[in-house]
Amino acid sequence: MSTFVPTMTFHPQPQPGTPSPWAFPAPSRSALANGLTVLHCDRPGQQLVAVDVLVDAPLAAEPTELEGVATILARALNEGTDTLTAEQFAGELERAGATLDANADHPCIRVALEVPVSRLERGLTLLADALRSPALPEDEIERLVANRLDEIVHEQANPARRAAKALYAELFDSADRLSRPRAGSAESVKRIDRSAVKAFYDAHVRPSTATVVVVGDLTGVDLPALLESTLGTWTGDRAEPSKAAPVTADDTGRVIIVDRPGAVQTQLLIGRIGPDRHDPAWAAQVLGTYCLGGTLTSRLDRVLREEKGYTYGVRAFAQPLRSAPDGSGRALLAISGSVDTASTAPALADTWTILRTLAAEGLTDAEREEAVQYLVGVAPLRYETAGSVASTLADQVEQHLSDDFQAEVYRQMAVLSTQAATDAVVSGFQPDRLVTVLVGDASVIRDQVKELGLGEVTVVTS
Amino acid sequence: MANPAPASTKGIAITEHRLANGLRVVLSEDHLTPVAAVCLWYDVGSRHEVKGRTGLAHLFEHLMFQGSANVSNNGHFELVQGAGGSLNGTTSFERTNYFETMPTHQVELALWLEADRMGSLLAALDDASMENQRDVVKNERRQRYDNVPYGTAFEKLTRLSYPDGHPYHHTPIGSMADLDAATLEDARTFFRTYYAPNNAVLSIVGDFDPEQTIAWVEKYFGSIPAHDGKQPPRDGTLPEVIGQEIRELVEEEVPSRALMSAYRLPHDGTREADAADLALTVLGSGESSRLYNRLVRRDRTAVSAGFGLLRLAGAPSLGWLDVKTSGDATIAQIESAVDEELARFAAEGPTPEELERAQAQIEREWLDRLTTVSGRADELCRFAVLFGDPKLVNDALGKVLDVTAEEVRAVAAARLRPDNRAVLVYEPLATADADSDNAEEDAA
Repeated sequence: MSTFVPTMTFHPQPQPGTPSPWAFPAPSRSALANGLTVLHCDRPGQQLVAVDVLVDAPLAAEPTELEGVATILARALNEGTDTLTAEQFAGELERAGATLDANADHPCIRVALEVPVSRLERGLTLLADALRSPALPEDEIERLVANRLDEIVHEQANPARRAAKALYAELFDSADRLSRPRAGSAESVKRIDRSAVKAFYDAHVRPSTATVVVVGDLTGVDLPALLESTLGTWTGDRAEPSKAAPVTADDTGRVIIVDRPGAVQTQLLIGRIGPDRHDPAWAAQVLGTYCLGGTLTSRLDRVLREEKGYTYGVRAFAQPLRSAPDGSGRALLAISGSVDTASTAPALADTWTILRTLAAEGLTDAEREEAVQYLVGVAPLRYETAGSVASTLADQVEQHLSDDFQAEVYRQMAVLSTQAATDAVVSGFQPDRLVTVLVGDASVIRDQVKELGLGEVTVVTS
Repeated sequence: MANPAPASTKGIAITEHRLANGLRVVLSEDHLTPVAAVCLWYDVGSRHEVKGRTGLAHLFEHLMFQGSANVSNNGHFELVQGAGGSLNGTTSFERTNYFETMPTHQVELALWLEADRMGSLLAALDDASMENQRDVVKNERRQRYDNVPYGTAFEKLTRLSYPDGHPYHHTPIGSMADLDAATLEDARTFFRTYYAPNNAVLSIVGDFDPEQTIAWVEKYFGSIPAHDGKQPPRDGTLPEVIGQEIRELVEEEVPSRALMSAYRLPHDGTREADAADLALTVLGSGESSRLYNRLVRRDRTAVSAGFGLLRLAGAPSLGWLDVKTSGDATIAQIESAVDEELARFAAEGPTPEELERAQAQIEREWLDRLTTVSGRADELCRFAVLFGDPKLVNDALGKVLDVTAEEVRAVAAARLRPDNRAVLVYEPLATADADSDNAEEDAA
């Protein structure tokens, strides 16, 4: 009804200036007398220093009946030391304006400190004490176990968590640690006590198999001396680094519906396994996966969101699970998002059409170009903070990659062909080798989903 | 001070400009990394919406990504990401913001894009975009609020905290019914009313040449006409305390009992708001806070317990308590412990150590926000739009560090009282964590 005539003066779309050179920062490597490997990287202007410690305590090392013990240990590192109670330790961290987060995942326990550079010494002292002589107090461990049991109930109620749990259980052999929740099940967590946590600590936490990554504005900081006087006081015997078992999965195409009666949306998680970062095609796979589902202008959202309005957004991604120097590790390749209940089957049908079209016709040069421009161009921004640099350097260590791996990915990506990106994403997301998990109202979606022919459909209720 | 501040809080260098059409421009150079953030705040949020059209400001924000006279549908995402930049927009009670963080050599593109939609959105806006984004936003609502346990708690507490008819009575996401009712003409009127250069602040932070950049801003934005059709938002002032406890029981499929309360607190920008921030930090932020120590560590009645502060400039701020129970603990147990701690705090105030810790925490959070060019750009717009002067950003932390223990005690005594809160009690129906204390909606 209304015709709008803009009155502003229009100008042609501007052309870019000359790009400034940028490369992913190269860390320096050294070691402390206690065997702790050190990577550090000076980032001028970054006043919040990020310190990540990787402890060689993989989830596969947990006793099966005590799964979750690595997580309880990680959380207990924050609960006091030989000189500070749990409350005092938390108070001292906050007084330093620091945060300390520890998390156990398949490759290792990662302890992350963030602290203003002006209080780096205090932060490092607290971190060192937590690793060197955690109190692991019995009553706090009891509480952490009880909290974890409560947390499991909350996870069951969360559609995204519920979907991930179901997919891992379905994809991996029940003998593989990957098939079970990272932080343990109610049954195994109930058995965890102080002695179990202490035993796991004694067996796996030592400086000689650990690495610390320090990133931030280190101007005027005598880092070697500072590290020796803090993390250098952590002692332990020497040990061989752990070895990760190869990853295998059953990716026979099938559908698991986790019933959530009355749900207004269906959570989708569609996945299989694929190459990890050791594969020569990793950069191509990152590029191709971005074209498939990296942003709202990628193939999936272009249809599912921007044409059909089925979803707030669907993403495709690759998440390394467990890596080894010999390349036997793998990543989870997946498509994830949620759609309104009525749109479940139509959204799945469109997803498979998109995958089949991609396999038949490949990516376009324009898609490849836009993806390269984004992924390479956004790097200076993505790595603006110390925390993001530290986290990627720590990922590289954890996955047995060289320190210049990420820098090399950017170099490769810039010259990759459209065909290489197509080949990688098509071989990753094979339409007939995907396990589909749907967390939603089975009574509404089951019959329609069956008709799609995505493989056997199973409904689970818990 | 016993616990000296980090050396870096020396302040941000700021220059200001104003175009003839009223667009305010704030620049701050930082050449450490070859990136720059472009941030545009429009002085419109969900508080400007009228009854029957809740959610319109946010739905409209989505439409801003659907193209304009020289930009195709989704062209903003394609062009910015294709230039190695990142972008989004968000809508809150008090403002709508749009931001692009670009490699230095692509800053001009971001300015061109923002100017094109500020001046010519209606040339491209059509029914197809409206219908599509209506569905997208409804799915956003389902994903973030309706389909997760406790997902609508924030919406419920807001409704209880601000009376019917108050501009903050509803949250930015809006209701399904109102999202369904919004028309293309509503969107057009919204644009004509609020999207004008004299109702916006543009900030640019990072690695750029200031003279060149101002010339670009003048070139692209300078010819967009000013517009004075905007009505001020309805008055959001309320009595300092509610006067009685407001309470609602929610029986739903949630995994555990929960106690959530919203306390009416001083407006953002006042010294009392900073004092309240410190009080909430001592009481409920982090693992050395009083409520965490009491409920999680000692009583073991809670899995999590914490206070958050929603700072609001045009209405009383909200202090938001969220406690999820552990095991069989009851709400009555939690509530009496919380009230005991609040009463003790109101009587005694923070210890010197507690105040020092709270100040250090707030300082770190502040440093964290200012560590990126996009964080700084957003704060400059915030101070310019809500408080009239972007340079206030440089005093903000100092003001928090200046607050005394007695001021913290006093604000707690005056405000953190049972007769000044809305309470939401969750009792699980059968079996069923995602919190949604989000006061903002994203476009993507």
